[in-house]
Amino acid sequence: MFPNFRQAMAWVHTWFGLVLGFVLMACFFFGSLSVFDREIDRWAIPASRHAAQPMPSFDTLLQPIFRDMQPSKESLDYLRDRVDGPLPARFDTVRSWGAYTTHRDPVLSLFTSYEVPNARDPDDAARGNRTIDPRTGAALPDDRLKIGSQFFYPLHYSLNLSWKDLGYWIVGLAGLTMLVALVSGVVMHRRIFREFFTFRPKKSTQRSVLDLHNMTGVLALPFHFFFAFTGLVIFAGIYFPVTHTQLNPLHEMHEKLEAEETGLPHDRAGVAAPLASVDAMAAEAQRRWAARGMAGEVGLLTVSHVGDANGYVSVYRAGTDRIALVGDGIHFKASTGELLREDPPRTAVDSVNTFLTGLHLQHFRHWLLRWLYVLGGLLGCVCIATGFIFFVEKRKKQHAAAGSQGSRVVDALAVTTVTGMLLAALTILIANRLLPETLPAGWPPRGDLEQYLFWAGWALAMAHAFVRSAPVAQGRPNPAWREQCWAVAAMAVAAVLLNWLTTGDHLARTVFIDTYWPVAGVDLFLLACAGLAAGAARRLGRRTAAGVRPAPRAEAAHA
Amino acid sequence: MREAALLAAALAACVAGMGWLALAMETHWTQVRPDAPTRAAVLRLRALGSLDLAAGLALCLRVDHASMAVLVWVMALAGAALAVGLVLTWRPRWLRALAWVVSRP
Repeated sequence: MFPNFRQAMAWVHTWFGLVLGFVLMACFFFGSLSVFDREIDRWAIPASRHAAQPMPSFDTLLQPIFRDMQPSKESLDYLRDRVDGPLPARFDTVRSWGAYTTHRDPVLSLFTSYEVPNARDPDDAARGNRTIDPRTGAALPDDRLKIGSQFFYPLHYSLNLSWKDLGYWIVGLAGLTMLVALVSGVVMHRRIFREFFTFRPKKSTQRSVLDLHNMTGVLALPFHFFFAFTGLVIFAGIYFPVTHTQLNPLHEMHEKLEAEETGLPHDRAGVAAPLASVDAMAAEAQRRWAARGMAGEVGLLTVSHVGDANGYVSVYRAGTDRIALVGDGIHFKASTGELLREDPPRTAVDSVNTFLTGLHLQHFRHWLLRWLYVLGGLLGCVCIATGFIFFVEKRKKQHAAAGSQGSRVVDALAVTTVTGMLLAALTILIANRLLPETLPAGWPPRGDLEQYLFWAGWALAMAHAFVRSAPVAQGRPNPAWREQCWAVAAMAVAAVLLNWLTTGDHLARTVFIDTYWPVAGVDLFLLACAGLAAGAARRLGRRTAAGVRPAPRAEAAHA
Repeated sequence: MREAALLAAALAACVAGMGWLALAMETHWTQVRPDAPTRAAVLRLRALGSLDLAAGLALCLRVDHASMAVLVWVMALAGAALAVGLVLTWRPRWLRALAWVVSRP
């Protein structure tokens, strides 16, 4: 079929890259934003704009809140068809309580799970969750969307498409394609080292776009490779769910054996028992970490089989100084506080796995590395975007001559995934600031509405890209690139102004007077984005006016 | 503060190292200075560049746990290469600051 290996690779690179590139673009862009998900949360939920807090006292603050919690409405809706008979009004048998925080969290996430009487699948649990201010215990309104950690973050690995886990599979396929594209790209590109530093914006659009594509792909090659690869590792359990399908009986047995081995009970004893001081256990855990030369804060605290003689408390360390994502859990008997188990040192395989997972999930405390990750992710976006533009530039004249619409469609989709995606992200931020604090009765919850507006904004950008795409079929550029760049610039500035108007947090305050970097950082990032988008739009306009064959330079909006 | 200074030094070492490696290529050298570099000059530029990148790694290792330091270094290399690439595109003469190590003919 192909005269040589390189041409075969070129075919794979072009077509696989094109089809799944649109998905990869979303993964890379929203993945980059997820590096600062907690900071975006602070911007979106002004009530939570205060300093990061350590784990509060369990005995005095958390315990009463946990006792008050019940399963969420979503969880009950899910269970309604999975039980024989009606659901109980109150869930009293608690499987577990958990509290989770990181070094960047001013708020604390609490989650609970309860046994479900009459459940058809005994593994089913009713789940509850709540976000509190750890200084007072006050609950945050539960219709507030954490745009960073609950929307952008899951978007980058599941596209927020939960139907039959379709999103995970599409992203998995895209991740695999990324690896294929990297390998085939390296094979195709003969002069990797000679053109390592080469970008010639004054050459033809096709040439300069290819320069940028090669440069951003090659410079950050280790980053692209490791993030696509570790992303797949993290979800390997979803892609190969052997333990819960073919091996289910074995899995059950393994769990029981593991429980025997670790001394942590797998089931309830059925005998009621009180809960000893959890604060004392947390303090003991911290003392033991310090004795091992790895003093640290508590990141995750769980109580299993609450109120039962088999109950136990697990204390995990917040991983801030290592790449590997490990908890070094220490487990205590809940009723007495007696030490049950310390997690042993990891095996070689485990060490590799936790390193790869930690590399991607970045729980560590290292601001420089965080920013370098953002840079790597955005270089990935530029690489993918320039790939689309190169595809179009290479073909649009032939297509125009042949009367084909191919490059017109690809170009419109490229506008949708490059500038359109920025517009969608800006829409949700603006909606977050413009929607009233309490919505009229009968409206969807505020957080849901924000998400609908995000998708609506993206759909509008797509419609605009297609409506304006006619010139591409004649070998000319799509004016939507320039128009959407202007829209990005205007909306990014609008988001910063709205943040000021609705919360009083302007940049002079968040940078100088009452320094609060999470919000200042988001605002500054938005302004930088506005500047780049305006610059790109002006360049596109100048090229059109000069009659030079213009080049879409929208990738600058991402750089 | 000490950590920030060490990391800044590591970044600077990576940028300078990448700059020298770029100057060791004839296309980029001619963007910066009109004379043609000798074979010995090219070797010197390459050696300086490699040493500087190694120094960058050493500085990263002074700050963080080894696993983290290597990651910071790899990402800093990408950032430094990008910076040098963009300087060569728009302001190639800035790299004269690194070209002094080769004497003019």
